[in-house]
Amino acid sequence: MTGEWGMYIVLYFWLAAMGGGAFLIALGLGDERTKRTGAFLAFVGVVLGALLLIVDLGQPTRFWHMLVSFHPVSVMWLGSVVLALAGLGLFLMLVLREWPVWLEWLTGILVLLVVGYTGVLLMVTARPFWSASPLMPWIFLASAYTTGAALLVLLGNRGEGLRRISFNFAIIEIVLVIAHLVWTYPKAQEAIQAALTGDLAWAFWGFVILGVALPLYMEAQRKAEALAALLVLAGGFLLRYFIVYAGQVGVLHF
Amino acid sequence: MPKSNDYAILFDASHCTGCRACQVACKQWNDLPGEETFNAGSYENPPSLSAETWLRMKFTEGVEADEVFWDFTRDACMHCSSAACVEACPTGAVNYREGGAVTVDQGWCIGCRNCVQACPYDAIHYDEKKGVVEKCTLCYDRVSNGLEPACVKACPTGALHTGGYGEMRQLAERRLQELKAAGYKNASVYGLAEMGGTHVLYVLLKHPSAYGLPVGPVTEKQKVASGWLSAGIAAAVLGFAGVKWLSDRRNEVGGESS
Repeated sequence: MTGEWGMYIVLYFWLAAMGGGAFLIALGLGDERTKRTGAFLAFVGVVLGALLLIVDLGQPTRFWHMLVSFHPVSVMWLGSVVLALAGLGLFLMLVLREWPVWLEWLTGILVLLVVGYTGVLLMVTARPFWSASPLMPWIFLASAYTTGAALLVLLGNRGEGLRRISFNFAIIEIVLVIAHLVWTYPKAQEAIQAALTGDLAWAFWGFVILGVALPLYMEAQRKAEALAALLVLAGGFLLRYFIVYAGQVGVLHF
Repeated sequence: MPKSNDYAILFDASHCTGCRACQVACKQWNDLPGEETFNAGSYENPPSLSAETWLRMKFTEGVEADEVFWDFTRDACMHCSSAACVEACPTGAVNYREGGAVTVDQGWCIGCRNCVQACPYDAIHYDEKKGVVEKCTLCYDRVSNGLEPACVKACPTGALHTGGYGEMRQLAERRLQELKAAGYKNASVYGLAEMGGTHVLYVLLKHPSAYGLPVGPVTEKQKVASGWLSAGIAAAVLGFAGVKWLSDRRNEVGGESS
């Protein structure tokens, strides 16, 4: 491990957003069974994500130092706390036969914070590609909804509302990514060149073509919806991959 | 803002010859190994700070109106009063010490590298072998025992000064007046507004941006506030859209069943 934020972080961003997005959409869909499925997906994402974060630390056995500190200005501190609390809330929803409405709301807010803080985390750094526009949280949230919807579609939920969510948020997401590239270009040329034509071009164009354009076409045609959903999930991974790595292009020492 | 009796260092670029005695003294006092490096097309070396290089001289060179210029600045931790690394640290391991120095408690650091991503001066780095971060300590072990920081002690030209913050600030203002009087129209003092005021001040012959220094008084707290504001608006707008698209579907389903 060289000290940059690498594959563990990419996987964590992806899994937490995918599971969290599925849970938030399931809450919106409103039926008990889907909510339970969503809670399960988010729980898996949160637990796997937390493990990835711990493994990524330079001193994994000291991870609890975060939980005994109080430092809300640190986005990382707040993230670790909401991650732990969201995991607890989701666990309760999974083991309780019936849960009170407040638990559902509270867990929903915590999961929203888990999905949202990752964008804030990148936005407040000194890396121009992450911080020169305020759109990082927007992109991560939009992508959480597209990948979350795709996950529910993949598990056999084919409602019209879900289709619309998945389709519309994919369009919003690609518009946001383009806006972000244009916005940050003056300050982050090196990063954007790496994404468009350099070392990260495979991930960027893979995201645009296989992760957004092709599934949008397939969804519009109502063809192979499961395959389209799989492509959206892969696109969510590629999006986070190129964002995380492009932000650190040109940094010699971490 | 730093307090007037805080520890402080003043770097005066008009007296610096780029000899790098400070860079070497820092390595010696802090027992830091040499680095295998490469020629990046400049005498500047190594090309960036790292876990093993806490201080280096930054060379800015070029040609302006047929005149070659070669400007030197110090590149090291600025010991900010509102430090991005301290605000970013999730455990409080990176923190302010008595006298305003910013240091790392390596027994408490978890190695998350959030500070590394946050520092606008690229002055805090991850040590792979130790699994924790490393940075300039403002020679806390020396200054708290009445000694000068190693870099200041080594400087042969009087480009580095140390003392109380108030005293260093006065000296900086005086040097600025002298340089302006000597014809350096764009001479400046750096570190008064940045990051809540820094405990390392620079007297520069040009505008700070000519040396590649980040200019502007935006603190980490303000950045974090705007980050959450943006996320809040995003959550509201995207959430509203999502709920609307889902409820359209409910109406349709309702319409079908009736």
